[in-house]
Amino acid sequence: MELTLNHRKEGDRTVLEVGGEVDVYTAPKLREKLVELVGEGHYQIIVDMTKVEFLDSTGLGVLVGGLKRVRSHDGSLALVCNQERILKIFRITGLTKVFPIHDSLDEALADTE
Amino acid sequence: MPDVELRVPPDVQYVGLARLVVTSAARQAGMTSERIEDLKIAVSEATTNAIQAHQRVGQTAPISLRFGPTSANQFAVTIADLAADDAAPDAMGGRHWDADGGLGVTLIRGLADVVDFRRDAGVSVHMRFAVDAMAARVNGVG
Repeated sequence: MELTLNHRKEGDRTVLEVGGEVDVYTAPKLREKLVELVGEGHYQIIVDMTKVEFLDSTGLGVLVGGLKRVRSHDGSLALVCNQERILKIFRITGLTKVFPIHDSLDEALADTE
Repeated sequence: MPDVELRVPPDVQYVGLARLVVTSAARQAGMTSERIEDLKIAVSEATTNAIQAHQRVGQTAPISLRFGPTSANQFAVTIADLAADDAAPDAMGGRHWDADGGLGVTLIRGLADVVDFRRDAGVSVHMRFAVDAMAARVNGVG
């Protein structure tokens, strides 16, 4: 299972749709994508993980790295995740307190903080 | 039933294969899909750490995964590396779980019913998962 990455603008936000498996082998691609987006001035990012099949700590580390990166530009990084198996790893690692996590993209877009 | 052993080269491209093989064996042993998700993440974490430990010390030998059902309706997995570097056994934390702020070891401890880290030729991680999540609660495992 490969990693797929697609991004688009939704108003002032950038939605990065991630699909497939995020592990130590594929996570560098996600890291590069986040670095590239922030480098291009995308500071309000929503990572849509609805189509993620697998995520481990390497992927979590990359998301935390992305969050630090956008925060250094006063930006934000929110997640869309409705899969219990993935939410569970955010809970175990305490990262539910670090990321705003939404059930749907609509909900994430409606949250203007 | 005797364990099966899988040996994978110390290259991160094999972590996905290790997940696939171990979870297939667990499914065959009757593990529920909810538990398989836990197992899959824990195997990924331990395998990733073992491979990265080998890479760090230039150890080119494969890492070993031994797994199989136990008599206690559990599924056991031992993931062992041969990376002899300086960390103390109790720092299994310390040695190579640091890269992501120790999230990997936190996940292993949070997902497996029984976890034991041992220092031998390298570090080995022993994990057990109840095959049936309900049985785990009833028997008080974990």
